[in-house]
Amino acid sequence: MADFLSAYSIQNWLESCPQGYLEDTSYGHAVGEGEPGLLMDNEVLRNDAIRTTVQLVLGERCALAASSGLINAAPDEASKRFLATQTLDEARHVEVFTQRLYDLGVAKDDLESVLSTHANPHLVAFADVLLEKVDKKDFVAGVVGQNIVLEGMAFSVFEMMHAVNSEMNPKFCHVLSGTIADERRHVGFGENRIGSLIKEYPERKAEVEQMQKEMSYHMLATFAAAFQDVEAINELEKIGEERSHAKFQGADLGVMDPDEMEHLLADTVLGEFKTRLGRIGLEYQTPVAP
Amino acid sequence: MIDDVHELRTDEFLAEVHSFEFWFQSIEGYLSDSTWGHDADAEEEAIDDEDRDRLISVLCNYCVGEAAALEAASGMIQIAPDRHSQIFLATQVADEGRHLEVFLHRLAELGVTDADAEIAKRASPSLLVFKDRLLELVSGKDWESALFAQNVVLESLEFVVFRRHAAEADTITSQVLEGVIKDERRHMGFGENELGRRLSRSPKLQQRLRDFRPELDALVLATLKETAHHLELDAEEERVLGKGYLESVERLGLLG
Repeated sequence: MADFLSAYSIQNWLESCPQGYLEDTSYGHAVGEGEPGLLMDNEVLRNDAIRTTVQLVLGERCALAASSGLINAAPDEASKRFLATQTLDEARHVEVFTQRLYDLGVAKDDLESVLSTHANPHLVAFADVLLEKVDKKDFVAGVVGQNIVLEGMAFSVFEMMHAVNSEMNPKFCHVLSGTIADERRHVGFGENRIGSLIKEYPERKAEVEQMQKEMSYHMLATFAAAFQDVEAINELEKIGEERSHAKFQGADLGVMDPDEMEHLLADTVLGEFKTRLGRIGLEYQTPVAP
Repeated sequence: MIDDVHELRTDEFLAEVHSFEFWFQSIEGYLSDSTWGHDADAEEEAIDDEDRDRLISVLCNYCVGEAAALEAASGMIQIAPDRHSQIFLATQVADEGRHLEVFLHRLAELGVTDADAEIAKRASPSLLVFKDRLLELVSGKDWESALFAQNVVLESLEFVVFRRHAAEADTITSQVLEGVIKDERRHMGFGENELGRRLSRSPKLQQRLRDFRPELDALVLATLKETAHHLELDAEEERVLGKGYLESVERLGLLG
């Protein structure tokens, strides 16, 4: 275990993250990059971007609370130090996505009210399940919830967003790329560290699997609510802008209905859960359909 | 990048100096070419067995202090009153994690193979009591007292000790300490500013911290005594360290 954890040292993190892919960036993107005119000049598209970004800020706030809360519950110093880097990563994500809200025209004084207006209640419930485990200093459940379920979901959502925005919005894509690189590290730690703990405490399996089932339900409900909102797609059609034909999981997102996109994303994330949970010795639990 | 943060409005200034971006620019200056907190090509100086043993004792106690700071700072994120404080504390969490890591690495460079056992054997009893007390304040969700104990008292103690030690330590230890000191300065600044604002508005808080201070002072001064012994400082030098610590607290107007 010591060798595996040494790969997650702060020294490695400094070299790969602040001195690596974040070098010469400002709020996660190249200096001088801005939100595209199409988005800033169109109220419907701008509001849609604000609504989406609000969910990212809330997800990252949850991740910040969870990773910092898990430091005191970690059973070894090396895990504490890895979680210290993750805490800072999550704080950075909160900061860059909050900055995006400002860039999209949200006034600083209005931030909290915009967040509560647009917060998806299912995402809030998803976060509550995780934070309850963290609050109880339950390291095994906390890391599975945070580094496998939450980060696994974020990873695929960010990849899909990256694909959708790849032609139209390089600034947002750069922010997402840095975030995805961080998430990959977090998921890797979760898989590696928890595998050995699950072997050590097999009696914890059922409870942790139940948590995954609950969190997955709220995640699917979040996706369902998000993809029900078709205003932006209708607006693009109305103004004669073609949707991006970017590929996600081999599918052309430009020709898919929102329903199809929702199922593609849900299937991708749940498939990832199944694989990752299997690797750490947990059995994936199919959630109730929302 | 903002040219001079002091030209910003107070709220904008706080948002800027507590941000990841600000932290990122700050550490780039002094950590970009270092490995485990020192120049990669810095050469190990010859240290005799007695001095090595003393250095190991001191570093073990630095690890206790940094582990306390890591756990306290991460717990304080949950009770911080606003987002900027949360983000600043997240940068502090990474700093404290790095400090713990570089000190553990330095111990390994000095031949320590089981750092946990060595730390358990050599930890200062007063520092361990301080750690427990600090974590109690954090878990009790007492923001002001925790911030005082962590970012004013503990950071000031570390600052004066590290600065004194860096002045006479071997090259590698000195470089490690210099990097840590730069971080501590930022942490102390946050603590003094955040608490200073609150203290100026609340005489009740001033009294509460004034009443609580002697308990922490006693632990800090006992820890300083033990550290001074390991660093082979005489009584006068120990007094100077104590004075340095008390001056930091005095800046908040909490003496007597």
